Amino acid sequence: MTYYKYCLAVFILILSLHFGYGQNVVRYDLTVTDTIVNFSGKEKRAIAVNGQIPMPTLTFTEGDIAEIVVHNKLKEGTSLHWHGVYLPNKEDGVPFLTQMPIAPNTTHTYRFPIIQNGTHWYHSHSGLQEQIGMYGSLILKKKETDPTFREGIDDLPTVPVILSEWTDIKPENVHRMLHNANDWGGIKKGTVQSYSEAIKAGHFKTKLENEWKRMLAMDVSDVYYDKFLINGKNESQLSQFKAGDKVRLRLANGGASSYFWLSYAGGKMTVVANDGNDVEPVDVDRLIIGVSETYDVVVSIPQEDTAYEFLATPEDRTKSASIYLGNGAIQLKSRMPKLKYFEGMEMMNGMMNMDGSMDDMGMDMSLQKMDMNTVMYPEVTGSGDVKMDDKMDHENHSMKADANLVTLNYGMLKAPHPTTLPKDAPVRELRFELTGNMNRYVWSMDNKVLSETDKILIKKGENVRITLYNGSMMRHPMHLHGHDFRVLNGQGEYAPLMNVLDIMPMETDTIEFLANAEGDWFFHCHILYHMMAGMNRVYSYEQQAPNPYLPDKKWAYKKLQMESNKFHFMAENDFASNGNDGKAMLQNTRWSIGTEWRLGYHDDHGYESETHIGRYIGKNQWFMSFVGFDWRYRKTEGSVEKNIFGQGNTKDSRAVLSLGAEYTLPLLITLQGEVFTDGNVRFQLMREDIPISPRLRWAFMVNTDKEYMTGLKYIVTRNLGISTHYDSDMGLGFGATLNY
Amino acid sequence: MAISVLLYLVAGNAQAKNFKSESVKIYGNCAMCEKTIEKAGNLSNEAKVDWDKDTKRAIISFDSLATSKEEILKRIALAGYDSELFFAPNDTYANLPECCQYGRAKNDSHNMEAHKQKMNADHSQHGAMAQENQNKNPLAGVFEHYFSVKDALVSTDGPLASNKAEILLKSVMEVEMDKLSMEVHMAWMKVLKDLKTAIGNIAATKDVGKQRVYFKSLSKDMFEVIKVSKSETPVYYQFCPMADSGKGANWLSLEEDIKNPYYGSQMLSCGKTVETIK
Repeated sequence: MTYYKYCLAVFILILSLHFGYGQNVVRYDLTVTDTIVNFSGKEKRAIAVNGQIPMPTLTFTEGDIAEIVVHNKLKEGTSLHWHGVYLPNKEDGVPFLTQMPIAPNTTHTYRFPIIQNGTHWYHSHSGLQEQIGMYGSLILKKKETDPTFREGIDDLPTVPVILSEWTDIKPENVHRMLHNANDWGGIKKGTVQSYSEAIKAGHFKTKLENEWKRMLAMDVSDVYYDKFLINGKNESQLSQFKAGDKVRLRLANGGASSYFWLSYAGGKMTVVANDGNDVEPVDVDRLIIGVSETYDVVVSIPQEDTAYEFLATPEDRTKSASIYLGNGAIQLKSRMPKLKYFEGMEMMNGMMNMDGSMDDMGMDMSLQKMDMNTVMYPEVTGSGDVKMDDKMDHENHSMKADANLVTLNYGMLKAPHPTTLPKDAPVRELRFELTGNMNRYVWSMDNKVLSETDKILIKKGENVRITLYNGSMMRHPMHLHGHDFRVLNGQGEYAPLMNVLDIMPMETDTIEFLANAEGDWFFHCHILYHMMAGMNRVYSYEQQAPNPYLPDKKWAYKKLQMESNKFHFMAENDFASNGNDGKAMLQNTRWSIGTEWRLGYHDDHGYESETHIGRYIGKNQWFMSFVGFDWRYRKTEGSVEKNIFGQGNTKDSRAVLSLGAEYTLPLLITLQGEVFTDGNVRFQLMREDIPISPRLRWAFMVNTDKEYMTGLKYIVTRNLGISTHYDSDMGLGFGATLNY
Repeated sequence: MAISVLLYLVAGNAQAKNFKSESVKIYGNCAMCEKTIEKAGNLSNEAKVDWDKDTKRAIISFDSLATSKEEILKRIALAGYDSELFFAPNDTYANLPECCQYGRAKNDSHNMEAHKQKMNADHSQHGAMAQENQNKNPLAGVFEHYFSVKDALVSTDGPLASNKAEILLKSVMEVEMDKLSMEVHMAWMKVLKDLKTAIGNIAATKDVGKQRVYFKSLSKDMFEVIKVSKSETPVYYQFCPMADSGKGANWLSLEEDIKNPYYGSQMLSCGKTVETIK
């Protein structure tokens, strides 16, 4: 009894201590489960938290203590990362960097004080879970007594808005297909940019020059999505708002790889915050929100009995998602017209050097000020490709260009208060070039992926200044954990604070931050598939205290490195009337293990296979050296074939090793040279997948053994093609190609 | 074969069963509207729209399992036509052919007012500036009209550029050279002949492509003059490396923001300020 009393007393003491400090513990319980969803008409697996997608909106007020209890009911590990939040490193939620994954059927508690305010979001940092539902809004409210409280902005009604996308294809498959340059996504989007389309658009020369410079079809995004979502729905209405109301939308882009254009049917939008940090209000007609960025915009409802469309359009403009603000008939916003891809291709040709590097023609691009993609925007440039096949098609041909459209860029953002760093702190300068190539979907920094680099050591108290140059052909939203950085954008002391920097091709931007939070912090491209391809670094504070959630840091870092440089498998086989033709490959950032086979149906057609283990060299990976093993068997009554060098070869039964190299020539033709252990030499020219029309591909091969092949394939589905080919060994054949 | 016939029958039945018909009001004017409305609304096997230009009503029939009245009316509104559920985007409506500019479903006076106000503001500002300049620099008129030509090229308007070039030529002729300082006079005389040729060439054609070629040399000459004569308001000498097939070209502007006269809206923001003249 006395013991019980004692306990009670202690309990009351603890409770009063809490109140004594005025700190309010706000607790959320999150249960993570597998679920089945239907966004597109098909039932697919997803992950829900407390039974919902997106995850519940978590709201705290500055000064609270957040306590988030995660119950993992999945059959795999998980984690939650608090995007843009200042917190102790062990609460940051990056598996193998700041904690071990939350194991299946276990509970993990994140607990940290809220020492900032603003619009943020949270998501899983484990594998590709973010793509299938693990994203949610995280709203940190400003105290009303805060000296920075802005009347007319911070007291408006707010709506958390989280943008995302859905694909019916399993994200692991999406990732694999990207690495195999599978163009099924392009077919679905209508962005194959084949020769027949080029000719129709009067751009044959453009396409030819593009391939001459060894580029694949260009696009502004990599993945085909079936649906785009705002707060988990494609369309929804908030009818509680009426004429004259102002609404603050707290926008977060929780998409795995989509940038969104945002526009509003009820007039201009006023941008009041970016990445959770207040900015001086600025009026715009539209803005692009990068993957993982957040923006706060204020919109108004101009008229009675009308709901106004807030439209989110993915950068590739394939579809859109809407939310209607107000009650009554819906005032729509016009859809963004399709991109003029060949115009973009023409411009890219002009800026691409033969060696694969880019030439900005001395334009010193930075801060999204000069969007080179503008040449592809019909709403700005006018619709150049008027097709007169339908004279009544007025919605296209009367499209007028609007040069007065105000589009937000980073140069227009200004912090309301000086954001300068301590002047006397030592400055640490770092420079990175963002690198990558689309052909093999390799994304890196300074041409090194995470698995090829050590942690970058920094010291507490330093000012870290990072210059980033994007030398790749895609834009990248670079995100730093645990800190906000200043973006040096010409606003002097009032440089805006962000934690995600979108950097377009050929841009150079400088960011700086005070190293004030001990631990290991991830710095990475937030396009999920780029991150998983290794476009990451870790900033590690020197002499930091051990992390109780991660006892063996060395081992864990190796594990993290491995996770972002996995091997990807692909295989295809043509079941043809004259034999089987196929290949299988296992590849990662640098290595390729592949085998090709041609199997006839009887002995005089023969059976052969070639296996190569190679390593790609250089930034563009146009060169691969390899060792090989060839085996073949055929019954041809001992006739000897001679290659063009006069070397004899019965080909009937042969098993040899080889040493060789492969080089990608202009027009994406692969030149392969090989020396075999029997002294024979072979050179071969080959190209597969020449895009004749959106679905038709042409392939050819010719070599110094006087063998040749030519074939056509029509792509029916993601995994099936109908093909015909002529082969010097096996003759003419028809069949079906299956690929994985 | 038998299976596919069976499937077809089942599908056909299902379609008939789920097909709904409704009469809805859709705003519009003429036969041209009818075509656009129906084309936007129709979707094979899912929706059929039949609009009557006299009653301004449409019979929409649709497969209620596959689509909805809302989806159809939304497509029609996105093509420019109001209904009870959706209002067309203002820019899409404005881009309809003149004969299709029907009376809209809602009062649009608010928007018109704002537009008018803006126009007025622009106009008065322009006038005031011109007046001010005349009293000061003898070359002010030349500079002012040069900027008009530039603005016409920014908006890729050949006829306007030609028109403005004529005015510019006139103001070049009217420069009171005795009021110029010695230095400025020298600079002015040096470029005058080329300047006139370039302006004359711009005035003589309505082809924007050709005008831009002459505008390059015109801008260079203007720069030589303005460098010496100075200006009360800052003038920005700007450069686009892509213009003139990659040879690059300059121009002068009163705004620091780039508005490229060599590409117009196509590459509006291409370029950078290389010198600021004050």
